[in-house]
Amino acid sequence: MKRVFHGALPSLLSIALALAICFVALALSRSDVHLATDAYAQMIFGGVGDFPSFTESGRWGVLTRPWGESTSRAALLLLTGLSVAVAFSVGLFNIGAQGQMTVGALLAAVVGAHVSLPAGIHPLVGLLCAALAGAAYGSIAAVLKVRRGVHEVISTIMLNWIAVNLIENWLVTGPLRAHSEGTVSIAGTDQILPTAELPRLLSDGSRIHLGFPIAVLIALALWAWLSRLRHGFETRAVGLGPEAARTAGIPVERRIYQAMALSGALAGLAGGVLVLGTEFRFPAVLGAPYGFDGIAIALIGQNHPIGVAVSALFFGILRAGGTRMQLLGVHKSFPELIQGLALLFVAARYVWRKLLSGRAARPSPRSSEVQRA
Amino acid sequence: MLELLEALVWSTLEFAPALIFAALGAVLSERSGTVNVGVEGMMRVGAFAAAAFALVMPTPLAVLLGMAAGALFAAIHAVLCISWRSDQVISGMALNLVALAGITFLLESMFGPSTSPSIAQLGRSGFGPLAQVPLLRALSGHTALTWLAAVLALAFHLVLGRTPVGLRIRAVGEKPSAAATVGVDVIRLRYLCVIGSGALAGLGGAALSTATLDRFEHNMPAGLGFMAVAAMVFGRWSPLGAFGAAAFFAFGRAVQIGLESSFPSVSDVVPKGVLLALPYFLTLVVLTLQGKKSRAPAALGTPWEPEAR
Repeated sequence: MKRVFHGALPSLLSIALALAICFVALALSRSDVHLATDAYAQMIFGGVGDFPSFTESGRWGVLTRPWGESTSRAALLLLTGLSVAVAFSVGLFNIGAQGQMTVGALLAAVVGAHVSLPAGIHPLVGLLCAALAGAAYGSIAAVLKVRRGVHEVISTIMLNWIAVNLIENWLVTGPLRAHSEGTVSIAGTDQILPTAELPRLLSDGSRIHLGFPIAVLIALALWAWLSRLRHGFETRAVGLGPEAARTAGIPVERRIYQAMALSGALAGLAGGVLVLGTEFRFPAVLGAPYGFDGIAIALIGQNHPIGVAVSALFFGILRAGGTRMQLLGVHKSFPELIQGLALLFVAARYVWRKLLSGRAARPSPRSSEVQRA
Repeated sequence: MLELLEALVWSTLEFAPALIFAALGAVLSERSGTVNVGVEGMMRVGAFAAAAFALVMPTPLAVLLGMAAGALFAAIHAVLCISWRSDQVISGMALNLVALAGITFLLESMFGPSTSPSIAQLGRSGFGPLAQVPLLRALSGHTALTWLAAVLALAFHLVLGRTPVGLRIRAVGEKPSAAATVGVDVIRLRYLCVIGSGALAGLGGAALSTATLDRFEHNMPAGLGFMAVAAMVFGRWSPLGAFGAAAFFAFGRAVQIGLESSFPSVSDVVPKGVLLALPYFLTLVVLTLQGKKSRAPAALGTPWEPEAR
């Protein structure tokens, strides 16, 4: 337990520091400390539920509605965060979660709208297709890396913009655009069939849906896979030292392909959950760049599935609360600022380790890998 | 036909400077051994700072301050990557996220949600009589930044390839330990290059908000920073290569905008999204064909650790 706490300490301190800096910035920009306190309270209540109002009125809605907002965001952050974390475990930096997610979202929207299936199976098929699409798209980067030595950071940046431009600026505005009803023109693709929607867990008044439990189960499964099973161990061995792993008889290339496909599948799944859980269509613009957020979530969670889950839930709560901060005139992207700063501080691992243990950090597992590429 | 060509050249020259400055900035940082995927964020900071300062002072001065803001932002990257040996890709992406959310926050609290107030654009110089000659007309009426971009690329090429400073920068990016043994201060030089890279990216951003447009828009630079990174890779990490790639991408954008406005029917055959995706696709193809013979600097991404020599 102590070891876990010590490992998590840099992330916790980074988040605390980011929260503090943003608090000061908010208080200074409005020259009103009271407003900043209020805004932070709204951010928490908007995410975990408005408990003061609940004890006053006894209406469950004031609790369940925030839960729906925060868990639906947390599910997306968790899946993209796991996507980045899995790629990290094999030593690759998947910046392409955004593109893989976009591809997955499109497939889910198409399967949801144009394939008719019974209610129980439809969402599952939609999610599966989204995951497969993401896996296929993620695999391109792995193939280019292994066969042609193209660095995955560069290739996934390119693949992101290829996917986003082809899908958002062509398919969704052209061939797959929603059929307009009369004179009303609708942005995005056709609405998915009701059978394809992810089931809601609490029937009314809350958008909490099956996506979050699914994401948590996947996080647990990944944790078991990475820490307890042979393939997971081999994957991490490749990430720590591909040459050593090869000498030990581990099929390095195959592990890279598998990890990158899994990483893409998770990002694609995030797209599927977004479309089938909250948007119900591929919207004109996919909204928040959850794929890039995944990088922050993964690193703040120290690339550990459980850590990623905790960090996804925390920032899911903050971001759900962010919409409530708007009532006080604070932009809803404020929690993203907190998240970005926290990532920046986490990036300075060297300093944290030095401060916390008084000795210099060992080089990170990736530094040798980057050098090679 | 001639008019179409003129229009294309004109809008290429309008659009290219931002991309060229940012791509040159990326080259400067990466040739000295520090990965810079934070160009997007540095451009955003520069664009916003230039637009905000231009409200209270002459625009050229505001552009300089935009550069300074980009440089200051890049200094964070320098400290993290060079002194604290953080992962350079992580640091760059973190800066992108901070710039995205932080500038949105500043924009909202200073000017409202979508744009800054409009400002006085940078002055445009006509060529006098030349402005009547067909074709040459397209060269007239641009801001000084357009010409600065071309001159800077050439100067950069000469400095990097032909001067002692350029040699040192390349040495620090290829084999820092060798450079250090002959007395080059690796840390200092890398700092200067990363900060200079931020200044150039900031200038690119400022070009967007003070020359291409006359205000800061909430989504600036809308992926242009990543396109600059693509231009750097496409141009094989050389200043002239990056310049050429950036100009080519800008021409592609001009074609796309030109087609959209003057020949709307073409967009049924070649959709806009396909044209927008093309630069990235071409970069990927070039990288794939190059294969393992990549021209990336050898020490790119590796922190310099004097004690680990």
